[in-house]
Amino acid sequence: MSENNKSVVDIDRSVYDIKDVENEQDFYRMEDGFTEDIVKKISEEKHDPEWMREFRLKSLEIYNKLEMPDWGPDTDELDMNLISSYVRSKTDMKGKWEEVPEDIKNTFERLGIPEAERESLAGVGAQYDSELVYHNVKDEVAEQGVIYTDMESALTGDYAEMVHEYFMKLVPPTDHKYAALHGAVWSGGSFVYVPKGVKVDIPLQSYFRLNAAGAGQFEHTLIIVDEGADLHFIEGCSAPKYNVANLHAGCVELFVKKNARLRYSTIENWSKNMYNLNTKRALVEEGARMEWVSGSFGSHTSYLYPMTILKGDHSTMEYTGITFAGKGQNLDTGAKVVHQGKYTSSLISTKSISKSGGIGTYRSSVIINKEAKHAKTSVSCDSLMLDSISRADTIPGMDIRTNDADVGHEAKIGRISDEAVFYLMSRGLSEEDARAMIVSGFANPVSKELPLEYAVEMNNLIKLEMSGG
Amino acid sequence: MNSTLKVNYLPALTYRFLKSNNSEIEIKDIKIQDVATPDAENVPTSVTVTKNVTEADIQKLFSGINEKIASRKTTLPGPNGDTSPLNDTQTVKTGMGAEIDELMKEMNVPVTLITAEEGYEIKEPVTIKYSLKDGDCALGSQVIYAKKGSELTVIMEYDSEPEANGFLGIQTRLLAEEGAKINLIKVQMLGEKITHFEDIGGVCDDKADIETINMQLGAGKTWGGCRITLVGDKSVFNNHTGYLCRHKQSYDMNYVADQMGKKTLSNMVFRGVLLDEAEKTFRGTLDFKSGSAGSVGDEQEDTLLLSPDVINRTIPVILCEEEDVDGRHGASIGQLGDDTIFYMESRGIDEESAKKLMIRARMESIARMIPDEAMIIRIQQFIRTIL
Repeated sequence: MSENNKSVVDIDRSVYDIKDVENEQDFYRMEDGFTEDIVKKISEEKHDPEWMREFRLKSLEIYNKLEMPDWGPDTDELDMNLISSYVRSKTDMKGKWEEVPEDIKNTFERLGIPEAERESLAGVGAQYDSELVYHNVKDEVAEQGVIYTDMESALTGDYAEMVHEYFMKLVPPTDHKYAALHGAVWSGGSFVYVPKGVKVDIPLQSYFRLNAAGAGQFEHTLIIVDEGADLHFIEGCSAPKYNVANLHAGCVELFVKKNARLRYSTIENWSKNMYNLNTKRALVEEGARMEWVSGSFGSHTSYLYPMTILKGDHSTMEYTGITFAGKGQNLDTGAKVVHQGKYTSSLISTKSISKSGGIGTYRSSVIINKEAKHAKTSVSCDSLMLDSISRADTIPGMDIRTNDADVGHEAKIGRISDEAVFYLMSRGLSEEDARAMIVSGFANPVSKELPLEYAVEMNNLIKLEMSGG
Repeated sequence: MNSTLKVNYLPALTYRFLKSNNSEIEIKDIKIQDVATPDAENVPTSVTVTKNVTEADIQKLFSGINEKIASRKTTLPGPNGDTSPLNDTQTVKTGMGAEIDELMKEMNVPVTLITAEEGYEIKEPVTIKYSLKDGDCALGSQVIYAKKGSELTVIMEYDSEPEANGFLGIQTRLLAEEGAKINLIKVQMLGEKITHFEDIGGVCDDKADIETINMQLGAGKTWGGCRITLVGDKSVFNNHTGYLCRHKQSYDMNYVADQMGKKTLSNMVFRGVLLDEAEKTFRGTLDFKSGSAGSVGDEQEDTLLLSPDVINRTIPVILCEEEDVDGRHGASIGQLGDDTIFYMESRGIDEESAKKLMIRARMESIARMIPDEAMIIRIQQFIRTIL
């Protein structure tokens, strides 16, 4: 490793890593492991309707049959018998911030959630371990008919039929092992419905905090943006670091109806003991647009490939992502897109940075089906290596089944060029500042797509401190 | 013998639904009768052709360079989905992999060793020609060895009667010692009822250079693999592949540039055309190993799709565990642009003729690199005939 690059150090995670001691009397924790009895208990806890109870048990059956894929990061150290599927505070979900228990409130205060809500969000859901502890939507957004609630309320309330219609239809439990596990033990998450023609001007946000050691978080996010509607949804995630593995196997299902637009922004900042095995998928109808903005920074191991199905004619998708793999991390991330409709287009642009022995893998698939005439796709992935003990791999796949398609792909792997550093230094910058500026510039295509406070967070997450010399 | 050979493993596996992690060759109904490499034509002085070389001799020949490769290995983790252990049994790692070695061993295929003596730059190409008749099923194995400072060109041509049924499997292994250069040209113009595989593996020592030109124009089902290990500093691998698949032809390929030495250079170009119901799977990997500082790798794929029923799979991989490298991949896949057709039509060339013109232009851009005028003319005639 070159001397210069020793100066690129990990960011200060202290704000995320503060652990809150969970008093046993204040928290309910399901015994570890994933058995039929545990799944039944979760179902009882949550007062599931009968169809959901059956769905959970069927999913568990599928989970026990499916194998882990042979192509991704190693998960051998993840002992599922030592993971608790369900941990919740003994408090109901609150609609007022003041009513949230003090210790939990402190955690979210430190993360800046209520402040963000006050200043720049139309609604907030805050999940702590397995359940939402706070959910609030601004009156003016509610008045537009926008539904933003927790999944459990949606499952048994006025939107029960809608949930039944859409729940895990896009990501069936048979999709992969952890989708099946999710189907069995899911808990928490958000349900959003934006009525026809409604444009939500400011974003909604869900923040997921996994605080308990050796626990799993399995939130389910279901968003339906009806015809001609428009929404920006932000998802944030963090957890303190423990010496035992934690598991995140959330599921996000997005339905973007005719001529609607949905932007889904994520900053994944899990702690470095987290196995992040998350599934995200969007179904995009005629003339609709799906935009993904994704930053993957934390976690020990990640499998994350948001998928878009461009079902309708003239539907479009754009994915902008960045992954930063540091010491002890194996982040396998990317995107998937399927072109089904005519005149569809997709644009995938990713950046990855690897340092201090981190493994960053960009993995993608672009499928253009036979009937997807006039499809256009462009894939661009750039990787930056900051030392020679790390890995940066790109494994894109394309399956094109029509000649009436225009496919472009480019990938680049390299380092910070000495010439660029020299040029900036000749303009008066120190070497440290020059390198920091180059890395920030490299990440800029992603950070400029994020709301300001998230861009700041992201820049903090890739902040470079140069030791000099 | 296994009834199915698993070949062309992607160096780092990916999603199973893409069906591109490897490929399979059904060989249970193939009765191999011929395992001899035809006699080489126009063998110049300073080139030695030795027939019936044993695998033990080949292992001995490669032992020095293999020790060098082993000494470069690190304990760094491989890529996710790493398949490199599958090739550990091979004397020379090839594109198609260990099961081709096993087939050759099981069928007692003798190896022909072609050696260029030290310091000789031999301009006259050595030619090996396989001409298959109906029912022929053949395997062949060659090792091309360019000693220090030498240069050698080998042209291998495969053809058959247009309606011939049959099978042809070839494995060619290359060793370029310090400062040596091997030019390997393969031209495949077999009939459409023939199944074919073409497995290449090579190693370059310091400042050595391997150049491959591959024209795949015939055969019903074709598998091609090429893996070049650039273990020497400043070693070079250049590849140009041209392919034309029509009717129900399929071409499944796996190219790997394994860059281990310092300041190595790899450049791979693939130009192809798919017509009718043809199917192609391209796997191309630049693998920058730790220690390959200053290395550059580039792979470019340009595929012309000329029918709504074609299937094109492309998996361009870059694996990297070295900071100081420059790796690039570009792919352009699609049909002829409207402006190109418009331009042609404005010059009095109808769309069908314009397509044929573009196909020929693509194929000939590769063919023209072959240092044998007669061969270029045969390629042009073959393309004209099938179009």
